[in-house]
Amino acid sequence: MSEAQNGELRDPISVHNFSERFMEQTVHFHVMKLSGAFFIWVGSSPLLSNLAVSMSSKYDSMPLSTLVMGDPSDTAPNSLAQRLAKKTKKQVFVSYSLPMTDSSLSLLVENRIKKELELHPGKF
Amino acid sequence: MSAAEPIISSRQTHKEINGITTQVVCTEFSNYIFIVITQYGKIGTLVSVTPESRCDDFSNPMFSTKVLLGKDEPLTHVCGKNLGTFVSQEAGNRPILLGLALKDSSVDAIKQMKELIKSCKVW
Repeated sequence: MSEAQNGELRDPISVHNFSERFMEQTVHFHVMKLSGAFFIWVGSSPLLSNLAVSMSSKYDSMPLSTLVMGDPSDTAPNSLAQRLAKKTKKQVFVSYSLPMTDSSLSLLVENRIKKELELHPGKF
Repeated sequence: MSAAEPIISSRQTHKEINGITTQVVCTEFSNYIFIVITQYGKIGTLVSVTPESRCDDFSNPMFSTKVLLGKDEPLTHVCGKNLGTFVSQEAGNRPILLGLALKDSSVDAIKQMKELIKSCKVW
């Protein structure tokens, strides 16, 4: 069905990595593009600390978001997922595995993702 | 884009299982293995497979499954345990996060999916 004649997938899942240095620390990004959705992990060490899911709803201008894994007192994964869902109109899975104290870092991270979205929209 | 090496490794493959295109992506984290098995191109139902402190008669840990997102039905737990347990055991009892979006959850299909997961070993 979704397979073309030559056995290549028409709508394959793709993975994209990038990284950036912010304030003496390297932050890594890992994106998995799915059909109508993407998963993004942000972190400086290879830990999966939490997972938030967000998607738009016709009943509210702000996308719905929920934390399915991790510490509920950390609002960073939810708010990032919500903002990315709003921007991309897709279902977004976010794992934000950076220390939760630093709100200026989360702003830099969000801007870096938005920049990548503009540079490589096909990767999300 | 800076040139730092990615710290997350992932492998992926795809195959037709009983006529349905099935994609698998395995991603390694230090505290989790994240596996997406999809016949819809989506993450679908999120299930965690976690080793318990309780052990069976052969001192292998027992596994518990939890549906984190999606329809919480018995078959999801069965599929989750089938597909996740062997990976966790091979990965030093690391918990598994599974994204399951299956059109076909027959025993035969699950068996073939396990082989697909084995071909994407990141642990």
